Amino acid sequence: MVDFIQNCLDGIMLGSSYALLAIGFTLIFGVMRRLNLSYGPSIMVGAFVGTLVYLEFKANAVAIAAATVVGAVIVGIYVERLCFRAIRRGAAVASMVSSFVIWMQLEEIVTVVFPDRTYFFPPMVTADPIDLGPFFFKVENIVMFAVAAVMTVLLHWLLQYTRFGLALRAVSENPRAALFMGINVGAVMFLAFVIASAFGGVAAYLIVSADGQITPLFGLWATFKGLIAMMLGGMGSIPGAILGGLLLGVVEAQSIWYLGTEYRDLSAYFLLFLFLVFRPGGLMGQLAVERELAATRRV
Amino acid sequence: MDDIYLITILSNIGMISFIALSAYLLLVVGEISFGQQAFFAVSAYGSGIATAMWGWPIWLGLLWGALVAGAAALVVAIPTVRLRGLYFSVATLAFAEMVRLIFEIFTYQVEIDGELVGPDGSDGFRDIRAIYDSNVSAFEYMLIIYGLLAVVLIGFLILERSRLGAIFRMIGEDPMLTEMQGLNVTKYKILAVVMAGIVAGIGGALYAHLATYVEPKIFNVMLGVHALAYGLIGGLGTAFGPLIGVAIDIGLLESIRAISGYRMIVFGGLVAVLLIVRPRGLLDEAAMHWLRGRWRGLIRAEN
Repeated sequence: MVDFIQNCLDGIMLGSSYALLAIGFTLIFGVMRRLNLSYGPSIMVGAFVGTLVYLEFKANAVAIAAATVVGAVIVGIYVERLCFRAIRRGAAVASMVSSFVIWMQLEEIVTVVFPDRTYFFPPMVTADPIDLGPFFFKVENIVMFAVAAVMTVLLHWLLQYTRFGLALRAVSENPRAALFMGINVGAVMFLAFVIASAFGGVAAYLIVSADGQITPLFGLWATFKGLIAMMLGGMGSIPGAILGGLLLGVVEAQSIWYLGTEYRDLSAYFLLFLFLVFRPGGLMGQLAVERELAATRRV
Repeated sequence: MDDIYLITILSNIGMISFIALSAYLLLVVGEISFGQQAFFAVSAYGSGIATAMWGWPIWLGLLWGALVAGAAALVVAIPTVRLRGLYFSVATLAFAEMVRLIFEIFTYQVEIDGELVGPDGSDGFRDIRAIYDSNVSAFEYMLIIYGLLAVVLIGFLILERSRLGAIFRMIGEDPMLTEMQGLNVTKYKILAVVMAGIVAGIGGALYAHLATYVEPKIFNVMLGVHALAYGLIGGLGTAFGPLIGVAIDIGLLESIRAISGYRMIVFGGLVAVLLIVRPRGLLDEAAMHWLRGRWRGLIRAEN
């Protein structure tokens, strides 16, 4: 039982980084209705910008984190302009494939600039794990969890209590109607992309600094973890993204403990497959799916 | 030496064309699959087991691989085909990753001539030697690949002129409208997924025997997404589209050695720009319509 609870705690800590990745994903998908496969690679580039700042200037943690976020946002803007803004509406598949080829491009740029496969990434804090009764916590995981919580609250405030948040929700609900209300849809989409990239940058910094190293493969990893967490929680739902991320983390932690490392991803994908077949809306998005289905039936 | 290099590249183009065609078929019915590599993998293992372990002749092994892939596709299609859009895409992704991860732990070996043969988890499956044992040269094998590709391609061209092809395109345009014509969309989609699985399976079986060695990590999601991209680069208007995509990526860029190392930087940028101008690829439906019109005009002028 102690093991089980410890695994759950570990899973929640791990899951909070997945949640951050999924929030960025779901923001972009919710507003654009298009899948950005370059999401992971663009924050990977951000993390390499952070590495560069560290290698060149021996900068401190705050500067590295800032460089990571700025890098992720700049690359995010590049992706938005090239793969989303420039491709006409209705060509969602073209956007997705375009974001995929840009992913390949980003990965190769990184391997050209950083020829060694793996680079050291300075940890955020160096402290011993904290014991609490029979359970223990790693400090960097607690920081990760805390940052994820703070950023979620911030995002909630932004979406629910500001004019921009209202505009964003309107665009996400119905872009055409939003346009008629005088909302600058293009600008809202752009800003949503920037915010999502910033979230991704923060997530990238937290994950990579907890790992202590960075490789170009981080892009692939981040894209697919974010995608799974988003789908588990329900597409386009922020609370869903958080719950989905946490669920993914807990499932992974439990399967590592009870089944072995090689079952970690297998059980995650199995769970995802079951969810998609039996509850495609995920934990939180079910209503939207049912609404759509009801509409189809009516027709 | 150069000849071998050329044959290798051409064989690769041929084999990857199968998986590109399989992704293309699903794009035609309006579905995006991130998981065609699963059928490629299932068939590579299935046909390898048949020839290397059960001692089947190579043609039977290829057939078996394609059938196993088709059966796997049926198993995925039944629960997932009602899902739409991204849900279907991610379901295929989840399935394909499950297949890959199962092969990472799948061990099934028998002793043949004092040596253990068979898939061995993440160490892969060595010694699928059927084509070397039966003295098929690399050139002859390339001819086999292109012979099968021609058969599949002719099948696609016939399909596109048939009622079934029209139904597939109609589903891609608007499934609800198709349903209202009294057509069972679910049934046709299952058929499309199974056909796509078989096509990918042929490629996988050919791959296993040429490489003689398969390991699970080859069949990762990158293979599937590349397959998807080829159709969109070459164009969704004709089955030649995906082949053009493969030829551009593997053939053209592999041969320009000046940009090796920067290949994806150039190629990625070019494709991104191409997709802005032509979001459904070089030979899209409109281009094919125009080309067919010109073709008919030429024939009329001859008579």
